[in-house]
Amino acid sequence: MILTPKIVARIAAIGFLGVLLQLSFFSRVELFHVSPDVLPALVVCLALLGGSLTGAVAGFALGLFIDCLLVEALGITSLVLLGTGYLAGLFRERFEFHGLLVPALLCMGLTLVAELGFAAAQLLLGVDAPISLLIVRDMLLKSVYAFFLGWPIYLLVRRVLRPALVEEPKVQRRRQPTVLGA
Amino acid sequence: MLALLIVGSFVLLSATYGQGSRGFQRGVSSVFSPVQSAADRALKPARDLVGWFDQTFDARGENSQLESELVIAREQAVAGQEAMHENAQLRKLLELDRSPVLAASAYDEVTGRVIARSPTQWRSSVTIDVGDGDGVRVDDPVISGDGLVGRISSVGPGSSQVMLLTDHASAITAKVVPVGAQGVIKPEVGNPEDLILDFIDSTTEVHRGQTVVTLGQRAQGLTSLFPPGLPLGEVTKAPIVEQEANEQVDVRPFADLRNLDLVQVLTGGSRG
Repeated sequence: MILTPKIVARIAAIGFLGVLLQLSFFSRVELFHVSPDVLPALVVCLALLGGSLTGAVAGFALGLFIDCLLVEALGITSLVLLGTGYLAGLFRERFEFHGLLVPALLCMGLTLVAELGFAAAQLLLGVDAPISLLIVRDMLLKSVYAFFLGWPIYLLVRRVLRPALVEEPKVQRRRQPTVLGA
Repeated sequence: MLALLIVGSFVLLSATYGQGSRGFQRGVSSVFSPVQSAADRALKPARDLVGWFDQTFDARGENSQLESELVIAREQAVAGQEAMHENAQLRKLLELDRSPVLAASAYDEVTGRVIARSPTQWRSSVTIDVGDGDGVRVDDPVISGDGLVGRISSVGPGSSQVMLLTDHASAITAKVVPVGAQGVIKPEVGNPEDLILDFIDSTTEVHRGQTVVTLGQRAQGLTSLFPPGLPLGEVTKAPIVEQEANEQVDVRPFADLRNLDLVQVLTGGSRG
């Protein structure tokens, strides 16, 4: 990805919109008593298109922003999303992939990693209450939702960042052959 | 660069974890709260739609009675469910305002709308669109029409954060009525439909279906943040063995903490 000020602004706008949608919409809707978490999937998509450094910086920034809006202790979400973005970017740099299944699967897998990372961080910092096993269901369903949401997010992010993508093939229009004498 | 970001995260965590005053974050939150408020209103129809699907999935396994209720619910949706729901919530809040509990404690009620919610079960908090300009202060109790919801954990000029009953850091002194058994209401992380009344006196027998209210205790210079008698929930599981061995019973909160929309902040009253 070629990072110009314009593209950085676009990434920032995607992140802002993603955080806003997460807090105002996704966190407040439930399917099977679990709310989707699109932020890890968004970071994964940015990292798959931009690489490990873009993913790590985007994850850090999104985590910082969401913690600021929720007035929570800074750093935990940043650290977790930073790791998520870096891992996704590393995958993109090591392996070649085509199609939409790989991004969706990565969104699913890395959302689970992010949820586990967040749980581990919270447990390390101390939890003052008993923990229900339902938290496992919450993590697994969030990952499944990330699989289904990963597709549209990836397509949308790729579309917005298309001018910066080096490997993106140009759409070629086939010209209709002219029929002589018609 | 990566190392710098990691170190930055740890520095931020060390600097802000467990700190009460977070001026920078409150500033950022306040700047974006009008945008969040606008997004909340714009996205409400979409949330209602997803909520309708969720309810439909839930109702699939129910009997024909519930199915007929679902049909009625759909009709209500067509007839402007959103407005009816809001109206009902405001009426319930008004009823709770008139209850002797709040009338005696001389609180002022500030009605707020939930504009954002934390995405993780590990932190159970919501953002509401009223702040210190409306008289809201840190630790003010927050109620819905059904009962206590939580307390204010942070206040900005135009928005505030509410720590819900289900947040792992929440602990509220409570008593079971009419038996009078006292204890501390704590959450079970990951299960928003279950609270635990812990440290109850094992000699007092608590039964399923009994109501749990705030204790509002004042002892040894310490005052509870909540007025006494605010409804908290209903005892759902109270096996004698559990009461004797662990001194705890299970409680289902009255307030639907997963679908909060309108809440009231009780400001300025005499606590405890």
